[in-house]
Parts: sequence; C-alpha cells; structure tokens
Amino acid sequence: MPPALLTTSLVNTIQIGSLYALMALGITLTFSVMKLPNFAHAEYVTAGAYAALIVSLSGVLNPLVIMIAAFAVGALTALISHLAVFKPLEGRDVSFYTLILSSFAIGLIIRYILFTMADYFNLFDLRIAIPLQILFREGYLILSNLFAWVVPTSIVLVIILTLLLNRSPLGREMRALADNIILARVIGIRVERVKNYTWLLVGGLAGVAGALWGLQTAVHPLMGWGAIISVFAAAILGGLSSFSGTVMGAYVVAFSENTVMLFLNVNYGLDLAFKPAIPFIIIIAVLLLRPQGFTNLIKRAGDLGR
Amino acid sequence: MTPLLQLHNIRKDYGGLRAVDDVSLAAPENAIIGLIGPNGSGKSTLIDLIAGAAEQTAGRVIFAGEDISDLSADAIFKKGIARGYQEPSLYFKMTVLDNVLLPVKDQRGERPWYAPWRRYWAHEEAGHAEAAVTVLEQVQLLQHYDTLASDLSGGQMKLLEIARCLMGKPKLLLLDEPTAGVAPKLAYEIFQQIARLRDDYGITFLIVEHRLEILFDFADYVYVMHLGNLLAEGTVAEIANDATVREVYFGD
Amino acid sequence: MINIDIGATAVAVLTLFGIYALMAISLNLEYGVAGVPNFGKALFVSIGAYTAGVTYTRLLPLLAGLESIHPCGPSMGAALQLRSEIMATQPAAGFINLALTFALAAAIAGAVGFAVSYVTLRLKEEWFLALVLLVGGETVRILVRGADDLICSNNGISGVAQPFYFLRDPGASSFLFMLLALALALAAYLYSERLVRSPFGRMLKGLRENEDVTRGLGKGISLARAQIMAVGSLIAAIGGVLFALNTGFVNTNDFVVNLTLDVWVMVVLGGIGNNRGALLGALLIAIMDRLAQIGAIILNMGGSEIEFNYVRFIAFGLILLWMLRYRPGGLLPESRLTTEAHEVVKRVIGAAK
Repeated sequence: MPPALLTTSLVNTIQIGSLYALMALGITLTFSVMKLPNFAHAEYVTAGAYAALIVSLSGVLNPLVIMIAAFAVGALTALISHLAVFKPLEGRDVSFYTLILSSFAIGLIIRYILFTMADYFNLFDLRIAIPLQILFREGYLILSNLFAWVVPTSIVLVIILTLLLNRSPLGREMRALADNIILARVIGIRVERVKNYTWLLVGGLAGVAGALWGLQTAVHPLMGWGAIISVFAAAILGGLSSFSGTVMGAYVVAFSENTVMLFLNVNYGLDLAFKPAIPFIIIIAVLLLRPQGFTNLIKRAGDLGR
Repeated sequence: MTPLLQLHNIRKDYGGLRAVDDVSLAAPENAIIGLIGPNGSGKSTLIDLIAGAAEQTAGRVIFAGEDISDLSADAIFKKGIARGYQEPSLYFKMTVLDNVLLPVKDQRGERPWYAPWRRYWAHEEAGHAEAAVTVLEQVQLLQHYDTLASDLSGGQMKLLEIARCLMGKPKLLLLDEPTAGVAPKLAYEIFQQIARLRDDYGITFLIVEHRLEILFDFADYVYVMHLGNLLAEGTVAEIANDATVREVYFGD
Repeated sequence: MINIDIGATAVAVLTLFGIYALMAISLNLEYGVAGVPNFGKALFVSIGAYTAGVTYTRLLPLLAGLESIHPCGPSMGAALQLRSEIMATQPAAGFINLALTFALAAAIAGAVGFAVSYVTLRLKEEWFLALVLLVGGETVRILVRGADDLICSNNGISGVAQPFYFLRDPGASSFLFMLLALALALAAYLYSERLVRSPFGRMLKGLRENEDVTRGLGKGISLARAQIMAVGSLIAAIGGVLFALNTGFVNTNDFVVNLTLDVWVMVVLGGIGNNRGALLGALLIAIMDRLAQIGAIILNMGGSEIEFNYVRFIAFGLILLWMLRYRPGGLLPESRLTTEAHEVVKRVIGAAK
C-alpha cells in the first residue's frame, strides 16, 4: 500500500473514530442507564448538524458558538423523544421490541421532518461554512484545521464525560441507575431527574458529533442514519456497557472501514462499494462469537464509568 | 431394587459461589421424597440441575439406570422427568385444556407439514383430549377446561401445573414448593392429590417444601440441605428428632 | 384537476394489498404467533425479488428455446427486448418460469430462514436476534449490490413483466395479476389460520409465552423456531416475487430497513398475533400508499413544494407510536383462539351430563 494512502487513511481513522466514539458513547449510556437500544440516536446527530449548519449560514462562524448550538439542539431533540415517546412506555410492561420499534418510529419522524425542512429551505448537501486550512504538512501527512477541531474536541468531551461519570454526584447516580433501577429508587435517587439529564447529555454529545461531522462532509438528512450501524458496531464492541470498550470499538470500526478497507482494495482489488458491509460484519461476528465485546479484555477497568 | 433417581456428588458453582456442594441422594420408585432446608440452601438449584435447566459443575445424575447428566431440558422431560416451578409458570394466555395438551409427547400435529391438515392429527388429538379429561377430572379442573389459566385461583394454578406435568406421563415429578401461596386447607388437599397420584400411577415425587407440618404427613423419606450441603436424611420420624436438623432449621 | 381512474386505482390497491398481506402474514406468524422478532423482513422479501431478477433474465430465454443475453451493461437493451418478446408471444414459457421462480424463491428463503434461526441460537440476549436480522438484511443488500453481474445492481433490472403481459391488454393483464396476488394471499391466510389452531400453533404460542417452560415440557424449541422462520421466510419470498413482478423492476434500493418497518407497521396496526389483523393492516397501508401517491400528484400539480413521500414516512412513524402507546393490541386484537381439542372435551362433558 502506498505510504501516501496509508497516511491519509490513518488520519481518517483517527478523525472518524473520534466522531464514532462521541456518538457510540451515547448509545452505550442510553443502553446502560435506560436499558434501551436507541435507533433514533442517529437523528440527534443529524439534528445537531443542521443546527450547526443553520447557525453558520446565518453568518456566525465562531466554532464554539456553532458547537453550543449543536449541543443544545441535539440535547433538546433527545429530551423530547424521551418525554414524548419512551417515558410514557416505561412501567407499562411493554416488550423490548416495542421499545426498539418506538425508537425506529421516532427516528423516522425526526429524519423526515429534517428532510421536509431541508427540502423546503434548500438545505441539502451544504457544508458548514468554516473555511478549510492546511495547518500542517510533512511528507504525506497533511493535517487541516478540521482535524484540529474534530479530534481534540472529541477527546476532550470523552474525557469530560468520563470524569463526570466518575467524579460527580450526577455520574454516581447514573451508575446507580445503570446498576439497579429499583435499588436506585429505594436509596432516594431522583430517577426521573437523572434520566432527563442523561438524555440531555446523550443528545448533546450526538449533536456536537453532528456539527463536527458537518465540518468535514456535507450535511444531509441521512447523514446520521448512514452512520448508525457503524456507531452501533462500536458500542457493541464495548459490550454495550463499557466506556473504554466503546471508545476502543469506535477506533476499531473506523480503522476497519478506512485503513483495512483501503488495504483490501489496493492489494486484492476488493470493490470499495463493499465498505458499508464492514460494520455489519463486525456486529454479527461480535454478537455471535463474543457478545461481551472488549469488556472482559479490559476487565473491571472498562466497567461503565470506571 | 435400584433407585429411580440417583445423584452422585453433584456440585454447582455460580462464579465464586458454591450453590450445591457434593450432594448425593437416591429416590426409589413410587415414593414421596421431601427436600427441605432453609432459604438459599441449594434446593431449587438441585431441582434445576436434575431437570436440565442448569448444568452441574461436577457429578452425575442417573435416572432409571441411565446417565442423564448432560441431556438438555427437553430430552430429560422425554425420558420421564417433569417439573413444577416455584413461581406459577403456566401459559396464562391459553386455556386450561391447551395448557395440559401442550406437553403431550410426539404429537403429529406439531410438525408444520401436518399441522394445517386436520385429517392427519385430528384423531390423535381427540385421544389426547380424552386423556386430558381424565387428568383434569383428577385435579378437579375439568369444568374449567375452557378458562384462561390466568383466571384460575392460586391453588388451581398449582394443581394445573401438576396436571400439565402428568400429561407427559412422567415417572418422576420434581415440585418446587407446590403449596406456595396457597391456603392451608387447600395445601393439604394438594398433598392428598400427590399421594393419590403416587398410589394410582406409581409416580415418584421429589418435593421442595417449606410447610413441614404438611410434608411430614405425606413424605416417605426426607433429605435436609443446608448451605449447599446435604445435612441429614432419613424417615420423617428420624428427621424430626435429629438434633443438628433442629438446630439449623428450627434454631433450637 | 387530474382524472383518477377508479377501476385502475382499485386494481392497483388490491394488488398491493395481496403483496403486503403475504409479508404481514409472514411476520405475524413469526412475531405475532411465535414471538420471533424478525427485523430482517426486507431480506426475505428481497430473496424473492432477486430470484425473479435472475430467472427472468437467465431461465426464461432457455424455457423459450432461445439463447439468453447478458442483462447488464451494453447488452441491456437487447436483453430487455428479448424478455418482452418472450413474455408477449410465449405465455407458456412465462408461466413455467413464474412457477419455477415461486418454487426457487420459496426454497431459498425457507432454507435461509431456517439456517439463520439456527446460527443465532448462541446469541446471549434474545433481542440480539432482532439486531442480527436487521443488520444481516442490510449486509446482504450491500453484498448483492456489489455483485454487479447477478442482477445488474448498478441500474437494476427493468422489464420483469407480469405473467399476463401476452394478453396485450394492460387492464386485463393487471386485473388477472391482481387475482393471482389475492389468491396467494388468501392461501397464505388460510394456511396460517389452520396452523394457529393446530398443535404446532399451540407449541409456538407456548414458545412465545415462556421459552424455558416450553423447553422443560419436552419441546425442541430451537427446531420449532427454525421451522416457523422457514415458513415465514418462504411466504415473504413469494411476496417478494410478486413485488418484483408488480413494479416490473428489481433494485437493491427497494429492500432497505424502511420496507421491514412498513411490514411491522402493518402488523402493529392490524393486531399482533391475529391473522385477520395482518390482513387489515396490509389493506390500510396499501390504501394509504396509493392515497399518498395521489396526494403527491395533486400537491405537485397545485405547485406545492412539499415532498409528499416525506409526509408518508412521518405519518407511518406517528401511526406506529400511536398504536404502540394507546392500542398495543392493534385494531383487531388477538382473539382467544382455541384448538380442535376443545370440541372433543365439550362433547365428552356433554355426554357425561
């Protein structure tokens, strides 16, 4: 494999892996705390991306403002889907498949509301208007200002989230909920409040991920949905329970999709059209062969919030 | 005569916890065997192990001279061991009749290629229905055959569970607290039914029971478990007067 | 205003109803009766469509005694011409091809359904099955799309004509095709109704209600689950063949997750566990689909900017949420089904009195 391709693909791996990590942590958190595999998660990403796009189109180009707007919209979308859809179903002894179906349904609704909006205001395939600059060039290694935004932001957010879970009272309460919701209620944790905060956090992170994503590719109503399987693959590699496992999973998925795929393409002529199959194959292989994902490899260090 | 059921040095670990430790017991044919002990002593785990719902860490289960240690739950049922559950585990959305017909072995109509064509199985099904009438009559549930299982009383549910087991023509019936949550008078009646089934059909019962006052009236032999170990065994009279049993069980 | 041909609309809606009914009945057997969450319905439907794509391009010319032409790339036009000619002039070849397509699609899908069920036995959690099927469906779609030669995945295969094309009368041809679809749907309905009332149906409902207890009562539940997956997949694939013939087009893009969700909407709307509910759900969705198309035309002619297709998906999402929350049993909730044996017992009791 030519070194230029290798370097580019590795840069991509880090960049995309960081975004996957942000999104997949949300999936892991929702599954741990709420016991819900949320397929609508993709739509919080898209909603955040559109919030960022609209803010940037209105002339505000300060990336921080853009991120905050994306966080707010993502968080709000998540909270609304909780309050309007998931919360009323709780405690009704509904089957797990009802929850899965509901998450598909709310995702479908948000997605096509965004479609209608994008159609009406002509917002298809636009990029968030921050100009591209080359910050660093050394041989084949080219780093743009996008890389400088995406990677550190993701890493900082992952660290903040981990600290929040470990050190803050809210984090402790979330872990208690993840462990045993009945017990959490008994020892006086305000379960509904903790859940609301969790949704805000999950949606906000997804929103920021959407904004960062929109910096590097065009914003489209299907962008979140298109990534959801890769993101689920990352969360499943983390056993849907481990934080560090999920982050590792995100980079593994990104690496497989970029570097490994490119390697197979260059050396064995495998058509790049097969790239979307990679996360699917990862999911099926993990579920069938090693459903706990990475969790036992990193043992207790990988448990939620540790 | 060789016993119907023999357990040889059964052990069961859950992670670091040893739920059952080196338990051996034997149950003869045509008998009611009591299995007692404080909560958490491993009785229910032992039932799960025999029925194939869990796998033992070590030891062998011999039934009618055959090693059934590694068989799956459905294969064990087919060999002639049926079980009841601590929690009522009926098919609550089905009628009483369908509840007792489901466990009938080797039904032709259970094969998808015969199922849509009544003529292949209607005759057989009618035969099973008649057998079900006999069994339901025995437990006094016949008039409720068309009732949903969820609409039965607690005691009737327990009886239906026994009736459901009987339709599999078992030689051994494992019952986990067959009188849990049932009024004392009805609990006594349930045991009278059990004794009648032992006498009429020669079925062996292995019964986990907390109501010793009733169990001791009916049991032929009793095993006592404590902390996963077998603490004592003997006839009702022997167990009732055993000093160690009294100590762990009654706190004397 | 536009003219709406009521007769043609009715034929179109009923044809769609027949096709949807096959899919809904298949999901109802799997999920409604046996509790197996098939989130990969699009995969099994697509097996039927892909089979049609292959037989109509490779097998049909052979049956007509002609040389087949590669259907993709430069020879695409010639191959299409050949297909149309055979369908127009040699009805016998067309019918034999159709029969073989049904048989092949059913066999392949049945085998895949059976095998998938066994492979997924080792899954740790039950809902992983839903995930594996969902993801598996998409994987197969991507792999098929990548294998360009099989069904011309870049452009799809068009001109998969309906079997009554030779009549050269579009009205009569569509009407007969509608009858075919309705007849197959009726057969599937009768089959599954009988299945539900048989000892097999009793076992499946036991499996749905309590898996462990059913295993403890001597039932080989893995086999039962694989069997119902095979039956369900086979019916879905027949629906898939009709789907391809109805649109006249085989394209991997038609078999995305949204199709699976459509079938779920039908079953949830009509009534989980009730075959009549599945029929009702299929009918309502078929009508809504057609109304959405008409609505889109009217809207666009009125100069509206709103894309009606988006509104359709939003409406589907809302219907699904509404039903799950307020009428989880569906419009026609599962009625209390009793098996044959109840009649016998009634007679026995009657005689004793």
